[in-house]
Amino acid sequence: MLMCRDLARIASDYIDNELGTAQKLSVKMHLMMCRDCRSFIGNLRASTDLIQAHSSYKPDPELVRRIDEQVAQALNAKKN
Amino acid sequence: METATHQSDESILIQGLRSGSEADFQKAVRLYTPGMMAVARYYLDSASAEETVQDCWVTVIDAIQKFEGRSGLKTWLHRIVANRAKNHLRKNKREVSADFSESLDPELANRFAPNGRWATPPSLRFEEDAESLMENGALSDCLDQHLARLPETQRSALMLYEAHQHKSDDVCNILDVSASNLRVLLHRARQKIFLMVETFQETGEC
Repeated sequence: MLMCRDLARIASDYIDNELGTAQKLSVKMHLMMCRDCRSFIGNLRASTDLIQAHSSYKPDPELVRRIDEQVAQALNAKKN
Repeated sequence: METATHQSDESILIQGLRSGSEADFQKAVRLYTPGMMAVARYYLDSASAEETVQDCWVTVIDAIQKFEGRSGLKTWLHRIVANRAKNHLRKNKREVSADFSESLDPELANRFAPNGRWATPPSLRFEEDAESLMENGALSDCLDQHLARLPETQRSALMLYEAHQHKSDDVCNILDVSASNLRVLLHRARQKIFLMVETFQETGEC
């Protein structure tokens, strides 16, 4: 029988629909009976949504400046 | 996150890059550098990763003429970075080290009783959607800090899969990991973020 700790190990696979039919069924059975694991799955899913919604994946301005400079130089060298 | 998601936007950008438009290169650099850095940092230290990404952009000036569009521009750029980073590793005779042995985060593992049931169950209750939660600047800053603290391998996997929305197969290819090892990296990273949000919600502190 699947225990809470076993479910926690494969929770991401369940969320991403990466489990086989038998394992998925045993997770669903467990979730029907276990409020804490339902909460964990819900929380893990929400954490994943948070990462996706997090908008500050901005490039480092100093790195961008250096790249712009190098690209501009290389483009100019090509034109001449 | 912002990317050239529409096919037509991407085609226009590719045209611009092919014609050597500096403005289009600047646009592409801003759009794609974060993802390229996530790939490079999986393999290399910060300074080498930056150098590799810089070199890649210069390479792209000529290479874009041969880009056939079999994959999207993002995937193509990420593969170029991955190949260069792997060459860099080989030259320096180094390897990526990551722990794929246990999918349960140690801090979370301690929250189970010996019988395998929760001893300290999750206390977190999400009542708002992710977009509204991210409007909380302190939570957003805290997420930044925790993402920065993740092992590079976990962070890169998480960034490519969640933020840059690559499919699993693409992430495996770009990061040279098996599907099962990618699952471990993603799950470990997500648990860390879950634990962080739980603490933040409980205490208001990062």
